[in-house]
Amino acid sequence: MSTARATNEPQESGGAADVAALIPMLRRIVAARIGQHPAAEDLVQETLLRVLAAEDRIEPGMLEPYAIATVRNVMATMWRQDDRDARNQHRIHDPSEPDEAEEVVVASEEQSAITEALRRLTDREREVLLAHEVSGRATQSLAEETGSTANAVAAQLKRTRARLRVEYLLALERTEPPTDRCRAVLMALSSADRRRQREVDAARHLLECDLCARLSQPLLGRGPVRDNEIHVPISADPDIVAARSAAREMAVRAGFAGADLTMLATAVSEVARNIVRFASTGEVTVELLEQPRPGIRVVARDTGPGIADVDRALEDGYSTYQGLGLGLPGARRLMDEFNIVSETGHGTTVSMTKWFDTKGRG
Amino acid sequence: MNSGPALVSILRQGDTLVASVHTALDDSEMVRFQHDLVRQIGEHRARGIIIDVAALDVIDSFASRTLRSIADIARLRGAVTVIVGIQPDVAFAMVCLGMDMGEVPTALDLEEGLAYLSRLRGLGSSHG
Ligand SMILES: [Zn+2]
Repeated sequence: MSTARATNEPQESGGAADVAALIPMLRRIVAARIGQHPAAEDLVQETLLRVLAAEDRIEPGMLEPYAIATVRNVMATMWRQDDRDARNQHRIHDPSEPDEAEEVVVASEEQSAITEALRRLTDREREVLLAHEVSGRATQSLAEETGSTANAVAAQLKRTRARLRVEYLLALERTEPPTDRCRAVLMALSSADRRRQREVDAARHLLECDLCARLSQPLLGRGPVRDNEIHVPISADPDIVAARSAAREMAVRAGFAGADLTMLATAVSEVARNIVRFASTGEVTVELLEQPRPGIRVVARDTGPGIADVDRALEDGYSTYQGLGLGLPGARRLMDEFNIVSETGHGTTVSMTKWFDTKGRG
Repeated sequence: MNSGPALVSILRQGDTLVASVHTALDDSEMVRFQHDLVRQIGEHRARGIIIDVAALDVIDSFASRTLRSIADIARLRGAVTVIVGIQPDVAFAMVCLGMDMGEVPTALDLEEGLAYLSRLRGLGSSHG
């Protein structure tokens, strides 16, 4: 490939340049199947967009096979659609082929969602994205054009891609998000920016917002699978056991042992039970920490009525429901750090951490 | 009753019931266990109850309270309850939690539990 690469070009754009490098091959494949059909270039472009949308998921070295599989799918879909349009002209609904019919609908919806998502970007975003991804222009040359730096352009491209994914999913749902916070949350998820996710309290929003909860699945499915974080949905008694087992298992896998494991599991049991009893639904997140030292952080969130008097709820023996007052103060004693935030009408978040002393207890 | 492997087994040995918890129980299962055991105390006119919790890796506030209330109900029906097999880590966590077995006697294992009950019975018969 002849694209000149500046030495300080960020690594990230290597993948994008690779996507652009696929163009000649894709054109050949499409031409071999449909010749100089007017839709040929559209198919190439759509394939590129799909590859682009999936870029983060594609293993290194798998870009070419992935693109080939994608262009075949894109062509096959068009083929089937033409074919079915022709057949359906003299046939009424045949219930034996519901899946195929659905497939076609899905495919054409996908196509218009991609178009719509692209349209929702700003002109500048779209311009830079297409110049980089489709025309293969390096971030350095794009940066020179605007008096910016290659790093800044790369960061902008990354944001644009994240936004494209969000807008694509929203367009596919044919809906506008119900709250002002939705897009910020979805962007934080789409860009896999964990700090930003914490800033906008994404986890809590996903509990409260059905749309974002649904969209978070494909967005979170993108990045590498994180085995140092588990989410356990809590709504019934068996979930309490599931949450504490998950916490214990993660701690064991991380090499922790001893009475700390039981203390951790017991504390998780208490906060998970609070969700079932007081809020009816919520989730427990268990996260393995490495900094500043090894530990396990547990966050229990619910969308319940909230606790009016948190200080009192932390007093021993305080009980609002069948003598469960021991739950919170007990959990606090079992863990090393304990924090509770509750907002009446909005729910409660309990965050607690157990540090593990790897040098042996003493 | 339950399909699948039993979560709890309750066996009769003379006038003693030996209840073994085989796996972690959730709250509903814990309550069901309480009902089953209390019913059998009446049915068998049991005088001693041993509850073996060696398989439990967590005894949280709900489990502790349920075990204690089983013992309270049994006492009102004339039976003595001994909890056996509490694992050392579990006992430690229970103390941190602020829960303990209260007045309910505990013993290291099933054998010691049985020995405890027969000692009690010996005392009881020598007194009348
Ligand atoms: Zn939302």
